[in-house]
Amino acid sequence: MGDSVLEVDDLIKDFDGKRAVDRFSFRLRRGRILGMLGPNGAGKTTSIRMLMDIISPDSGTIRILGQRVDESLKDRIGYLPEERGLYRKMKVMDTLLYFGELKGLKRTRIRQRGQDLLERFDLAGYRDKKVEELSKGMSQKLQIIITILHDPELLILDEPFSGLDPVNIEMVKDLILEKKKDGISIIFSTHLMDYAEKIVDDIVMIHNGRKILDGTLADIKKDCSHRVISIDYRGDLSFLRGNPMVSRVRDYGNRAEIEIENMDHRQEVLKQLMQGVALEAFRVSDSSLNHIFISALTENREEEVAG
Amino acid sequence: MKMLTVVKKEYKDVVKKKTFLITTILTPLLMGAFILIPGLLMKMAKSEKTILVADYSGVVGDQFRDQPEIGVTFQGIDPLPGDSGTLIREYEERIVAKESDALLVIPSDVLSGRKALYYARNVSDIKTNEFLSTRLQSILSEHILVEKNISPDIIEEVTRPVNLETYKVKKEGTKKSSFSVEYLMSILMMTILFSVIMTYGTLVMRNVVAEKNNRIMEILISSTRASTLFYGKVFGLAFAGLTQVGIWILFGLILFNSFSFQFLQNIAGFISLEFVLYFIIFFLLGYFMYSILFAMVGASVNTDEEAQQLASPLIYLLIIPFMIGILVTQAPDIPLVTVLSLFPLFSPTLMFMRISIVTPPFFQILLSILLSVLTIFLLAWVGARIFRVGILMYGKKPSIREIMRWIRYR
Repeated sequence: MGDSVLEVDDLIKDFDGKRAVDRFSFRLRRGRILGMLGPNGAGKTTSIRMLMDIISPDSGTIRILGQRVDESLKDRIGYLPEERGLYRKMKVMDTLLYFGELKGLKRTRIRQRGQDLLERFDLAGYRDKKVEELSKGMSQKLQIIITILHDPELLILDEPFSGLDPVNIEMVKDLILEKKKDGISIIFSTHLMDYAEKIVDDIVMIHNGRKILDGTLADIKKDCSHRVISIDYRGDLSFLRGNPMVSRVRDYGNRAEIEIENMDHRQEVLKQLMQGVALEAFRVSDSSLNHIFISALTENREEEVAG
Repeated sequence: MKMLTVVKKEYKDVVKKKTFLITTILTPLLMGAFILIPGLLMKMAKSEKTILVADYSGVVGDQFRDQPEIGVTFQGIDPLPGDSGTLIREYEERIVAKESDALLVIPSDVLSGRKALYYARNVSDIKTNEFLSTRLQSILSEHILVEKNISPDIIEEVTRPVNLETYKVKKEGTKKSSFSVEYLMSILMMTILFSVIMTYGTLVMRNVVAEKNNRIMEILISSTRASTLFYGKVFGLAFAGLTQVGIWILFGLILFNSFSFQFLQNIAGFISLEFVLYFIIFFLLGYFMYSILFAMVGASVNTDEEAQQLASPLIYLLIIPFMIGILVTQAPDIPLVTVLSLFPLFSPTLMFMRISIVTPPFFQILLSILLSVLTIFLLAWVGARIFRVGILMYGKKPSIREIMRWIRYR
């Protein structure tokens, strides 16, 4: 993976003695979309803030576009923070001019590019309006325009879908995919697996500050999905306990998910199930990211308890 | 350069606001009122009054002449035979009933007793009192000299009044000046200095709190360093302050040069180029010192209310010089005042006040400037660090210990 635009190694950050990020490492490969997934409070925002040099890690290294983060690098990154604000009294074009200049752009370039983007996002009529006159959705669009105004090589988006209405979610999704086509590398964090699943190439899952899973979406799905047999049944599943072929049973009463260690044992397990309980339906599930996430999470918890 | 972008933005934000225009116009008007109103009131208070003179001694006669410039006319009345007590009681009633204004009783033994009695509703009219006593004194002197057969020429020579003109001795030359102008002006200039430092200091604070509340900091910091933002803000508002002070100075100069009222001339005499220079220097020193302190407060809190609370010690620090201001006017060179005026947080106001009264030794001025500059650098270093961490802390109010830890963050 020599072609990583983002290399993060052994990141550690403590807050008041509590470890928020624990030996977190991952890569973002050029031109790909990496989804950083995890529940609220997992350490996603803390990690992203460390990427942006907003807070410093206690230890670990971050290399972006082959170098350590510094002023000049900031101009090549587009960052959409989770906490988003704008100057309410500032006019739309003035806002673009200010943030653009802070990204090292020339004013003439900002006017030109800003106008294009405002048109594209249906905000052209508002260029001389104050930000406070915009609706919530419009100011979210403006935020996104600011993020991409300087044509960054790398986009870092922290919870880009949060607080958006469905129309704007679609818009952001399209934008991410479009930027990918332009060859731009993108990392975004989210706890919304459904949206992530549709656009990411790679995944890194984080929980309690620790990485619990990473890889390409395809690999992860392949690894996980065929290991789960979902059944609808009546009866008692307790006979499966202690079975060496079964790694875990999640029993919901009428429905259960049975994980198996090896695909080759699939037939054998099904046979035992048909003998043991009244089987009403079964399928080898095409596991969703959400499912993978939850199962990785439970595994992680069990490891924690065991360890 | 990114800092220039921040400076420009912050500058424009302030200067374009209506409040900037309003305070620019209103402050000198209020200050003008502050200077002129006491004078005007005194003029208005110059009520016309007639003083009745009851001469029991026969020495005074009609030698009291009307004094239109202090609004006094004299009228002799016949002293009632016998005791003056009856007459006084009668006129007391008249004075209370406002049928008469005032009564001056010259007792029969005025030459030996050197005492006269003055009855009026208002006896704190200093000018009238002073006139009566000096005039009576010269009338008596004349009388005695006449009795001794001294020639009228000599009498006139001896009894001529003496004026005391006060001159302020300064290195750059001696100027005619008086205590009231002196005191009023130094307090006034200090007030202007204080209010400008206060206004712009708290503006920096409110600005930081607003940006924290806007949740805008993260975008800003992802584009540039926190210290760039911090210094950009402090400098941007400094230029706004200088613009305002500059406008005032400009208009002041025009005003002083185009009108020739005595009072304005007195002030103009008080304000030299050097003085204006010192005003700007100490404004900048005070502004930087306090705006950085105010910015730290802004970065450490979440709401304007919290900011006000935490900023009140700073405001006390700024007010203390006023409380010792009277001491400074009376004894600007005593060691206590010297030491206090060298203390960096007081220097901007106290040293400036000392300069406006007597020019302190140049090395003291220089020392105070140096100490202040050092303090500013130290504060800026600490302030940028506190700002760096504080602006991203939302929610709970940090303890002092926590803030101390922020300074040590990498």
